[in-house]
Amino acid sequence: MSVSKVVTGNYAAAYGALLSRIQFAAAYPITPQTFIVEHLSEFVHDGLLDADYVRVESEHSAMSAVVAAEATGVRSFTATSSQGLALMHEVLFLPSALRLPIVMPVVNRTVAAPIGIWCEYNDTMPQRDSGWIQAYVEDNQEVLDMVIQAYKIAENKDVLLPVMLSMDAFILSHTVEPVEFPDQEAVDAFLPSYKAEHAHLWPEDPMIIGSFTPPEYIQEVRYQTDQAMKAAREVIKRVTKDFASAFGRNYGGLVEEYRTDDAEVVLVTLGTVTSTARDVVDEMRDEGKKVGMVKLRYFRPYPFEEIRKVAEGVSAIGFYDRSISYGSGGPSYIEGRHALYGLEIPVMNFLAGLGGRDVRVPDIKLMFEKLLEAAREGKAKKDIVWIGTRGVEP
Amino acid sequence: MYEVRFHGRGGQGAVMAAQALASAAFKEGYYAVAFPYFGAERRGAPVLAFTRMDKQKIRRKNQVYNPSFVVILDDRLIDLVNVSEGLNPSGAAVVNTRKSPEEIDLGMEIKVGVVDATSVALEVLGVPITNSAILGAFAKTTGVVSIEAVEEGIRDIFGGRIGKEAGEKNAKAARVAYDRTVVGTSRGEKKMVSKKQWLPTVQELPLGLATRSMETDAGLVGPGSFVENKTGSWRTFKPVFNRDKCVMCLLCWFYCPEGAIKRVDGGKTLEFDFDYCKGCGICAEECPTKAIEMVRD
Repeated sequence: MSVSKVVTGNYAAAYGALLSRIQFAAAYPITPQTFIVEHLSEFVHDGLLDADYVRVESEHSAMSAVVAAEATGVRSFTATSSQGLALMHEVLFLPSALRLPIVMPVVNRTVAAPIGIWCEYNDTMPQRDSGWIQAYVEDNQEVLDMVIQAYKIAENKDVLLPVMLSMDAFILSHTVEPVEFPDQEAVDAFLPSYKAEHAHLWPEDPMIIGSFTPPEYIQEVRYQTDQAMKAAREVIKRVTKDFASAFGRNYGGLVEEYRTDDAEVVLVTLGTVTSTARDVVDEMRDEGKKVGMVKLRYFRPYPFEEIRKVAEGVSAIGFYDRSISYGSGGPSYIEGRHALYGLEIPVMNFLAGLGGRDVRVPDIKLMFEKLLEAAREGKAKKDIVWIGTRGVEP
Repeated sequence: MYEVRFHGRGGQGAVMAAQALASAAFKEGYYAVAFPYFGAERRGAPVLAFTRMDKQKIRRKNQVYNPSFVVILDDRLIDLVNVSEGLNPSGAAVVNTRKSPEEIDLGMEIKVGVVDATSVALEVLGVPITNSAILGAFAKTTGVVSIEAVEEGIRDIFGGRIGKEAGEKNAKAARVAYDRTVVGTSRGEKKMVSKKQWLPTVQELPLGLATRSMETDAGLVGPGSFVENKTGSWRTFKPVFNRDKCVMCLLCWFYCPEGAIKRVDGGKTLEFDFDYCKGCGICAEECPTKAIEMVRD
């Protein structure tokens, strides 16, 4: 029988790893991820988790150790945040090209300077070209469920890519809320043990992995990884469905639409702002305003078709971003515009919550009001809108 | 535009030769560029370098496929690499060899300049690095640049990199080689074959290039493929082993970077594997009893 407990997002992430029966973990603690690492080491110490846990001296080493472990053919796990992810950066490109299905929660935290510990996506967004599948979640249940789903997606033979699970600092990591813990048996049935076939460091069946490679081969490797990322779209949809039948929670695939059916405007959100925005949508609907929301669950692979399909039915669309590509707008907006190329509706960008600033109900309401105004006028007054920034007109 | 392709081995200085030629051409009023193509940068491995010379700014940044001239720093490369691939028939080849032009077979009858640049280098520089000497032969064979410009180019590039005195010595090596170069016509009987390369499609390529030992059209790839890649041909010097002086300390065996020294006869003595010995001389350097001597192969 599954049980429900009130736990933090960090506990949910660690417990997701436990239920996924990871065989190897290496991690370095960093606020606000620290508790994931601590819970894991406790699980191993207490004999709840049969895994090798390696204490390393940096995140760069953590990712290096996890890559090596996964290359021997065992299910491997790590977790990090912010500067830690930045330090891992160069190693991130190994598992995606070598096709090693590692899963890593990243507790989203602002990258210095100025130094802070609160939520911003300027840690994960710059990693979008490293070949990792990248998902964003909105509550602690989704954290746990997504660790399990992430392994299922990553280890699929058509995919074989690592997965980065982005979860908001403090708003999830240090917040307790009820989480249903599925049965180990049910998880085992959903996620069988990992069998490495394409790449493994076994002396009895030698392979060359990650050797020095001249230009004659690398372009084909890049194409393979690109194909895998594209193939992940269908696999993600399938795994979402299978998970829903096994555990009763359906997250909708690459995106989840919320009250978009007859919506005049939609806001594309990611992370925990999604959760608050559900309330805002309901309130505004009660006022007779036709607003809807799309939760962007995966940033890589990007759901081009899904976003375009939603946009084709509305008069204006907005993209919420919790980080900025200086001079160009937020990454979600940039990607969204790419998906909507040629579509003649106002496309807006809302920047809010940078550096961990709280994103409040009136902030989200303002985003919808701006969208409704753009829909009426057929044009946005400003394409890129900074919400709640002192001295800046939104 | 003149395009030059240098065929050398890692450590012979093909890249510096290409640069010195560019500098020489620049002094002759050309716009000139030189660039390397690095493979696995190992001493002795076949390497390529290129020089382009033109009266106007050279804009193309790709490699040279139809050279006007090829420069071959080691005549054994002729058996390993298709050195005349794409070579313009009205151009020329310059070869470091002890052979005469008529003994050189490039698969095409073409103007060829020959010089024993290794001997010149050993005489003038005391080391078998032939990159400066071969440029003297280039000047004599092609006439595109004067020997004076080549000397200047060498002083510029070699002097700048390894010191003024070394620059002078290398310029002298070029001059000596210039005087000794014999120009004739090569034979064109041999069928030149380019080494087959393993070029899998995206679909054939093992996922992420995690490669098992595999038979391919181009031979063995993956773990153990070295059995077909006999790197002993890269050698200029060869270790000669004096069994009587050997005390079996095994320092040579330990230090050999190729694992080309084997313990044989129940571990009583040593044997050198010349299929893989590249003649680096580390064994001779490390031997405390001078039981190993390096001699010209």
